[in-house]
Amino acid sequence: MRQLQPEPPPPPDLAGLLGQVARGDHRAFELAYAELSGPVYGVVRQVLRDPAQSEEVAQEVLLEIWRTASRYDQARGSAAAWALTIAHRRAVDRVRSENACSRREQKAAEPEPAEDDVAETVAATLEHQRVRRCMDGLTGLQRESIKLAYYNGYSYPEVAKLLGVALGTVKTRIRDGLIRMRDCMEVTW
Amino acid sequence: MKAMREDLHVLTGSYALDAISDTEREEFERHLQHCPACEAEVRGMRETAARLALACAVTAPARMEQQVLAATYRTRQLPPLSADRPRRALSRRLALPRRASSRSAFPRGAVTRRVAVLAAAASVAVAAALGITQLSAQHQLDQARATAIARVVTAPDAHVATARTSVGGSVTVVTSAALREAVVSASGMASLPSSRVYQVWVMSPSGARSAGLMHGSSLLASAVRPGDRIGITVEPAGGTARPTTTPVAVLPV
Repeated sequence: MRQLQPEPPPPPDLAGLLGQVARGDHRAFELAYAELSGPVYGVVRQVLRDPAQSEEVAQEVLLEIWRTASRYDQARGSAAAWALTIAHRRAVDRVRSENACSRREQKAAEPEPAEDDVAETVAATLEHQRVRRCMDGLTGLQRESIKLAYYNGYSYPEVAKLLGVALGTVKTRIRDGLIRMRDCMEVTW
Repeated sequence: MKAMREDLHVLTGSYALDAISDTEREEFERHLQHCPACEAEVRGMRETAARLALACAVTAPARMEQQVLAATYRTRQLPPLSADRPRRALSRRLALPRRASSRSAFPRGAVTRRVAVLAAAASVAVAAALGITQLSAQHQLDQARATAIARVVTAPDAHVATARTSVGGSVTVVTSAALREAVVSASGMASLPSSRVYQVWVMSPSGARSAGLMHGSSLLASAVRPGDRIGITVEPAGGTARPTTTPVAVLPV
């Protein structure tokens, strides 16, 4: 008769970990780092593209999570959303602080999974498929607006210019599109 | 005035995606304080944006971890906001940095100094660093395999199936019919005594063929065909030629 070990503990509860981090718990921070470093680095790299710069910004973000963990308020959203909001904003700040003339001209690209960590890639692939499926349910303008804004870090006036539509149209499409994505992905908040 | 409010309300999406200027952000955050409906909408959109971020997660360079962990030992944390510290701006409430600080905590070209700091840091960080070194070596050994696996999960025709297992956790199978390969990835399954292993099988009407032992979190199964199924069983260490126990999970490819 085979004897199985008791069930392993569930994946760490990020909000709980951040509470411990706020009290200066380095071990809890390591666990939070394990959960967050992939998405943080991934989204920063998606926006910045340059690996060296992305690494630098991702490090700043993760240290910011350590520094400001006490300001995370569970009542205001998930821990992942809090951390990834910091990450995205930092990446965008970096883009905007660069010389406007040297802005890269890029097409909105699909996120590309890494080649060196399978479990993470598979998890991201699953999420990627859900995102792609829900993106397919948007209108072309909604989809392009969201991709250019989020994945490329463009401001809505820049998006409007790239797509050749009015400012008001882009603002509306980003909002409508996000609401549709939220409902499609069954986001709870 | 009302027209302006409505105009601001439309900004919820652009605000949640950081697609507005600093000036507009400040204006919008002032508006948010008096508009609970907008704040709720922003919250839902932030969660949605987080999912967009999760979809592009990639493994961070291993050296980042030791550098960040070492930096935590020389970085003072902010105190919590308390009732006597009024919550003025939303960005303070959410503790979002207004601007990336101009001085980076990780200056370029300071690797040597960072290593020195690391060596002096508490043993936790040093242990973490050693763990990472081993991990990188392992990564290099597995590079070819990892590349093969990545090819499957990024294939245009990649198909994903997930199931819970009878020993906890779940198994995910990503199959590319064009490549005739499947990636089997497990997480959270009960750990086994050293005398037992999880063995993966490609099961077809003609029988079950071993795809190998599950040592890490993932495994690549080759020569899979439509209609095959992937099964996982608990077997004696070293594996067996054919399954001897009831599968803990069976998934279609």
